[in-house]
Amino acid sequence: MIELKNITKIYEESKESSVTALKNINLTIKEGELVVLRGASGSGKSTILSLIASLAKPTSGEVVVDELRVSKLFDSFASAYRRESIGMIFQKYNLIPSLSVSENIILPLVPLNLHVKEVEDKLLSVLEKFHIAHKASALVKNLSGGEQQRVAIARANINNPKIILADEPTANLDEKLSLHFIEILRELKRDGKTIIVATHDPLFFDLDIVDRVLEINHGVLL
Amino acid sequence: MILTPEVLAILILNAIFTIFAIIAFLLSVKIYLKWDINSTSNAQYQLEKQSVLAATIIKYIFGVKIPLFLFFIFTLDKISNVLTGAMCAAGVVDATEYGTYLIVLKIINLYLFASWLKLHAEDMKDKNQPYTKPKFRLFIVTFFLFITEIVLEGFMFANIEIDKMVSCCGSIYSSSANSGISALFSITTTSLLALFYGNYLLIVLFYYLKNRYLFAVANMFFVVVAIVALILFFGTYIYELPSHNCPFCFLQRDYYYVGYLIYGMLFTGTFYGFVVGFINNSDINYKISLLFNSLYVILLLMYVFVYYIKNGVFL
Amino acid sequence: MRAKINIYLLEYAISSLLRQKFKTLFTVLVLSALIFLLTSVFFIANSIKYELQSTVDALPEIIVQKLGGGRHYDIVTSAVDEILEITGVGSASARVWGYYYFENAGVNFTLVGIDEFEEQYKKSFAYAAKELDFSRPTMMLGEGVKSVMDKNYYKEYFNFIKPDGTLKRVDIGGVFSGDTELESNDVIVMSKDDAREIFNMSENMATDIVVKVANEDEIATVASKIKLLYPDVRVITKDDIKISYQNIFDYKSGIFLTLFVVSLFTFFIIIYDKLSGLSSEERREIGVLKAIGWSVSDVLKEKFYESFIVSFFSYMSGVVLALFFVYILKAPLLQNIFTGYSQLKTSFTLSFVFDMQTLALIFFLSVPIYVAATIIPSYRGATLDADEVMR
Repeated sequence: MIELKNITKIYEESKESSVTALKNINLTIKEGELVVLRGASGSGKSTILSLIASLAKPTSGEVVVDELRVSKLFDSFASAYRRESIGMIFQKYNLIPSLSVSENIILPLVPLNLHVKEVEDKLLSVLEKFHIAHKASALVKNLSGGEQQRVAIARANINNPKIILADEPTANLDEKLSLHFIEILRELKRDGKTIIVATHDPLFFDLDIVDRVLEINHGVLL
Repeated sequence: MILTPEVLAILILNAIFTIFAIIAFLLSVKIYLKWDINSTSNAQYQLEKQSVLAATIIKYIFGVKIPLFLFFIFTLDKISNVLTGAMCAAGVVDATEYGTYLIVLKIINLYLFASWLKLHAEDMKDKNQPYTKPKFRLFIVTFFLFITEIVLEGFMFANIEIDKMVSCCGSIYSSSANSGISALFSITTTSLLALFYGNYLLIVLFYYLKNRYLFAVANMFFVVVAIVALILFFGTYIYELPSHNCPFCFLQRDYYYVGYLIYGMLFTGTFYGFVVGFINNSDINYKISLLFNSLYVILLLMYVFVYYIKNGVFL
Repeated sequence: MRAKINIYLLEYAISSLLRQKFKTLFTVLVLSALIFLLTSVFFIANSIKYELQSTVDALPEIIVQKLGGGRHYDIVTSAVDEILEITGVGSASARVWGYYYFENAGVNFTLVGIDEFEEQYKKSFAYAAKELDFSRPTMMLGEGVKSVMDKNYYKEYFNFIKPDGTLKRVDIGGVFSGDTELESNDVIVMSKDDAREIFNMSENMATDIVVKVANEDEIATVASKIKLLYPDVRVITKDDIKISYQNIFDYKSGIFLTLFVVSLFTFFIIIYDKLSGLSSEERREIGVLKAIGWSVSDVLKEKFYESFIVSFFSYMSGVVLALFFVYILKAPLLQNIFTGYSQLKTSFTLSFVFDMQTLALIFFLSVPIYVAATIIPSYRGATLDADEVMR
C-alpha cells in the first residue's frame, strides 16, 4: 500500500524563484490497484512518481510504502528499495542505444555482482514474458518502436517489482503501439502488481482495467 | 636534502592527500556538528550526500596509502645506498630524529584508517546509520595524526644529509645502543618467548570464550610483543646470525622479501582482532584475526625449526 | 572493504568508455604519451646507471690526482713508492692517459697507456695487454673510435699530431668488443711510452696514480693518509664515484620529473574541467541508472572503474611503448639527455634492466593522480538529482 501524507514539494530553481510542484497532497493507493494520474505537463504528476520511487525527497510530509518510510531512506537504502520494489517506465524509454537488449535489461542488476547463473535466469524469464527473446543480442538502436517499448518494460520488470510506475508511456507512440502497451499493463495487473500511470492520453481515462483516475492540477489533487 | 625521483613522487602524492584530507576534514566537522538522521530538511540531505564524498575520499586515501607505504619502505631501502654507513632502511630511519616517530605514526595511521573503513562499512549496513557521528569524530582525530605524519615525512626527507654518517642496524639494534632499544635486549630469551606465546595463547583462549574486549586488548598487546619478539629472537633465525636484529633487513630481496609477508600477516591479524572489540556479531572477524595471528606465529616458528634442522643447534 | 571485482560493472564501465570515444581516446593518448616519455627516461637512466655501476666496480679503490689552481696536473711517479709504504695499500701504479682531439672529425678520443706486465684493472686493458705488439707503436681501438677513423680513411694506422707539431704514426692492432661498451667505446689503448710521447709527458710523470686497498673498511683511512702526505692532491674513492653518479642521475631524472609533474598538473586541470561539465546525455544516463536502482556509491564505483581502466591502460601502453622505444629502437634523441659529454655517441646497447621500483614509481605518478583528479567530478555527477530525468 502506498501512502502520501501531507506531501509538499518545492523546487528551488535559484535563490529567488522556486516552484511549488505539490501542495499538501494526501493519497492512498491500495495494493493491486491501477491508478491513472491525469493532468497537463507541469501539473506535478511526475513529481508524485519521483516521490514514490524515492528519487526525490519531499519538502515536508512523508511517503510510506508497505510501512516502509520511503522518504526517510538515505541513498543506499533508497536505491535498494527502488531496485527491489519499483519498476520504472519512462516516456522516452531511456534505453542505451549502443548496448544490446540483454545488456540494457540487466542494468538494474549490475551493481549487485550476482552470480552469472542468477542473472541469466532472471534475464531469460523476462525476455520470454515480454516476447523479446528472439532479439536478445540485437542492439537497441536497431529495434522498432514497439520492440524498444518491450525492452523498456522488460528492464522495469527484471527484479519482479511489486510497483510499476509509468510516466507518459504512450506520449510518443501511435495508436497501435499504445494499445499494445495497454495489453501489457493488463497482464501486469493480472500478476498482482500495483500500477501508477501518469498521463494525459485520453486512451487511459475510460479503460476497464483502470481502478481510479486522479486529477491533478498545479500541484493539487482535485 | 634528498630528492630522488621516488621521494618526489611520495611528496607529490602527499600533497594531493593533504588537499583531499582537508576537504574531508571540513566535511567531517560539518557533519559531526549538524547531522540529524531524523530530520527531513534539505540541509540534512545535503549532508548525506557530503558524507558519501567524505567516505569516498577516505577510501581513496587509504587505498593508495597501503601500496604507498610499501613503496616508502622500498624508497628508504634505495636511499640507504647513498647514505654513508646505511645498509638497509634502518640506517635511513635513524638518519634523522624524525625517522622512528614517522614509522610508528605511519603504522598507527594505517590502523586508524582501516578502523574507519570498517566502521563505515558497519554504519552503511543499518538504515539509521548509527555510527555516523562516531565515525566522523574518529576521522577528525585521524586527520590531525595524518597531517602530522605528512609534515614529519617532509621534514625527514628534507633533513637527510648524504654526508652525515649513520649507523647500521647492527649497532642500532644491539645491546650496546644508547636508545631504549638496548633496554629491550636485557630481557632474557625465556621470558621473551614466554611473553610471546603467552600472549598468543591468551588470544586463542579469548577466541573460544568469545570475549570481545579481552580479545581486542590481547591483540593490541600482541602488536608490540610480536614485533619485539621478532626483532630480538625470530629475526636472528631469519638472518641465521645471532647478532642481526634488524626489523628492516628481511624486507630486502636477499630474504625473498619475507618481511612484507610477516608484517602483512601481523597487521591483518591484529587489526581484525582490534575490530572485534567494537563491532558486534563479528564471528568472521574473530576467525580472520585468529587465522592470521596463527600464521604469523607458525611462520616464525618455521624459521627456527628449519635452522635447527639444518644446523643441529639453536642460536 | 574486500570487494570482489564486479564483472558486470567492469563491462559496463568499458562500454561506457567506448561510448564516449573521443574523450576517452584523447585522454588515453595524452596520458600514454606522458607516461611513455617519463618511462623512457627512467629506463635509459637505469640502464646507463647499471652499466656505470659495473664499470665503477672494476675501478681501483682510490685515485690520486695532483691539483694546481683547482685543475688537474701531472703527478710525479715517485709518489707511487711512497704510497706503497702506507699500511693497507695492496698495490699502486701510475696511469698515463688523456684526451686527444681529432680535429677532422671534431671528436675527443680517450688515450690510455698501459705497461705490458702490469696488473690491469679493466678487462679491456688486460685484453689489450695481451694482444698489443709492444715492439712497435700499436694500439687497440674502441668501436666508436674505429668507425670515426674509418670514416676519415685511417684504416690501418693513425697519425697523431704531437704537441710540437710532428706526427707520430701508430698502427691499429685491433678493436675492443668491450664487455661494457660504455667504457671502451671512445677509448684507444697503447703502450705507456707511446702515450707519453703523444702527450709530451716526461718519464717520471704520470696523469694520476691508482691505489688498490685490500680491505674495504680501510679505504677511508688510507685516503686520509695520502692526503696528509700530499696536501696538494685530490683523493677520489670508489664510493665517492658511485654516489656522485647516483646523484647525477637522480638530479637529471629529477628535472625531468618536475617537468612531467607540471604537465600532469595541467592535464589534471583539463580533466577536471571536462569532467565537471557533464553533457546532458551523461546526466540523463546517470539519472536513469539511479532511477532503476543504482545508488550513488554504485555510480561512483563505476566511475572509479572507468578512471582506473583509463589510467592503467595508459600506464601499460606507455610502459610497453617505452620498452620498445628504449630497448629495441635504442632510444634515438632521448639518449642525449644522459650521454651528453662525449661527442662520440655511436650506438651502444642499452642493456635491459628490469627494475620493479621504477615501474612502481611511474605507476604511483600516474594512476593515483589521475584517479584523484576524477574524484570530485565523479562525485558531482553521481549526486545529481535523478528526478530531473523524469521531466
